Amino acid sequence: MVAGYLLITACAAKPPPVITDNMKSLDGPMPTDLSGSWERDYTRGDDAYVVLGETLYQLNRRSSRAQRSLQPTVGYGADSIPGRHREAVFAMARLAEEITRLQVLTIFQNENEISIARKDDYAIFCAFYDGVAKSTESGVGTEVCGWDGDHLVSNVTLMDGLQITHRFTVSRDAKRLRVITTVTSSAAPVPFTLERFYARFEAPTSDFNCVETLSMKRVCSTGDLEL
Amino acid sequence: MRCPFRAHRPLSVWFGCFVLLGFLAQQGHAEPVLSDIGTTPVDVEQNASRLNVSVAVLDPGIPADESVHRDLDVFPRIRRVEALFLPFIIRQTLVEMDEWGAVRVVPKADPSAEVGVTGTIISSDGETLVLHVRAADASGRIWIDRQFTGSVSDDYADNDNGSGSPGYQLLYDEIASELLRVRNTLNNKEKITIAEISLLRYGLQIAPAAFGDFVTTSPDGGITVIRLPAENDPMIERIALVRSTEYVITDAIDTKYRELHAEIAIVYDTWREFRRKTLHYAKEDARRATDTEDDGEHGSYEELRNAYDNYKYHRITEQEQDRLAVAFFTEVGPTIEAMEIRVGELQAWVEEKYAEWQRILEELFEVETGLPE
Repeated sequence: MVAGYLLITACAAKPPPVITDNMKSLDGPMPTDLSGSWERDYTRGDDAYVVLGETLYQLNRRSSRAQRSLQPTVGYGADSIPGRHREAVFAMARLAEEITRLQVLTIFQNENEISIARKDDYAIFCAFYDGVAKSTESGVGTEVCGWDGDHLVSNVTLMDGLQITHRFTVSRDAKRLRVITTVTSSAAPVPFTLERFYARFEAPTSDFNCVETLSMKRVCSTGDLEL
Repeated sequence: MRCPFRAHRPLSVWFGCFVLLGFLAQQGHAEPVLSDIGTTPVDVEQNASRLNVSVAVLDPGIPADESVHRDLDVFPRIRRVEALFLPFIIRQTLVEMDEWGAVRVVPKADPSAEVGVTGTIISSDGETLVLHVRAADASGRIWIDRQFTGSVSDDYADNDNGSGSPGYQLLYDEIASELLRVRNTLNNKEKITIAEISLLRYGLQIAPAAFGDFVTTSPDGGITVIRLPAENDPMIERIALVRSTEYVITDAIDTKYRELHAEIAIVYDTWREFRRKTLHYAKEDARRATDTEDDGEHGSYEELRNAYDNYKYHRITEQEQDRLAVAFFTEVGPTIEAMEIRVGELQAWVEEKYAEWQRILEELFEVETGLPE
């Protein structure tokens, strides 16, 4: 049993980089325009509990197979996942569910940068200068983006072996956005992935022209603003 | 001033001479634009101890590689504002010392300035300002070439009253003291020489043919006077008058920098205060990250949540700073734009006149020194 788990854990310990060098280089303009306002489509997407159940089931089968290859007498069906791995999967599922609860995404995109604003969370930021993805590095994490064909992939590597990857795909008619979020922990043998869907909407326009200023805070006018 | 009337010279030279004298006479009577910059010393010997100082707009020190701006915490548009804004505080500090002649902020370094101060912003956040300052006199002698660092304490920040230099006055005082220290090492003769070289260098810019024989430049950029012009050389008098005219315009430009300072000082102080607070939050975030490092077992929800939240708060702090930078520029942008347009117009006027003065002076020189045909 231990040997079987070591095998699985060893495979999970050195995952291939999510964003490869090839994905970081961009020849020409960005492949897709993600800009706009997107609201959650609750009729589609994953149920976190169902995904958790499936993940644990698959993990159980994998570990059982691994154990059977070493000890043929071990049968299927019994719960063969060690408690710490089960806890780690639960933890990833809970975190993934929490960080994908967002109702609205507001995406700004220009020639070099993409910013994905999320309420009550930081904005995911992607920068491509001179055709190369620029990472954002700090003592608490490293964030980098890349393009996998038409899919924008954002990956953040955090402390304690935690990695979060978002994969953004816009439908051909540009009306829907799919976001696949994968949480990976060095403590868990498998990653946890949730899929969410968003629909494009036109953010309501205001009758007021407003700008943020430093000394006067938000300044609004019904006509042209003169500071 | 006399005009070299000679019957056999072309009419255009006569006319040019007349225009130059008339124009300069008119400018010579212009009212001084500023009352607090001191007077321009025309009589070199009398005013030798009060050398004039030109403080150039700073090099904002923005890395060419845009992709590193975020990592280095550089806000390019705000750096450009600081580059325009901070020289005025250096100027004010020098004026308040009452040890110098005219102290002016100029759009670009002036090699003929009696004492020219240039600088680069090395770093500028809410807590620390680092400037590399270089000062040299007209002879090419380097007075200062080093970094100055100023830090703000909480007491300073709390007591600031919209000066545009929260807590950094010590840094400006240090620059001013250093300039004064070097000046005090010079004897009166050396100061007179600086003023003379300054005028000759200026003359060299305007009328190279007339002034080329007076000075020589060494490979290291030092300027040496080979010989002085005759006491009653009319060219010197003309150059001094041309320079006085240019000073009138320079003072008008200087006024624009003063207006800019008056208009944006409070907003700038607010920005610096926000940046100081942002740095404080960033330190708190870092401390929080360290404190929670051992919270929760490996792989537990607590551990994952802490790792995520530490990153989240770090990024939110950074992004809030970006938002404030945009708000700052939204507020001061129109003022900067208006000032740059006006300074541009004044500079263009000077450059246009430069060409005209240059032509007329060269023609006069030819008239006065050439042999009759």
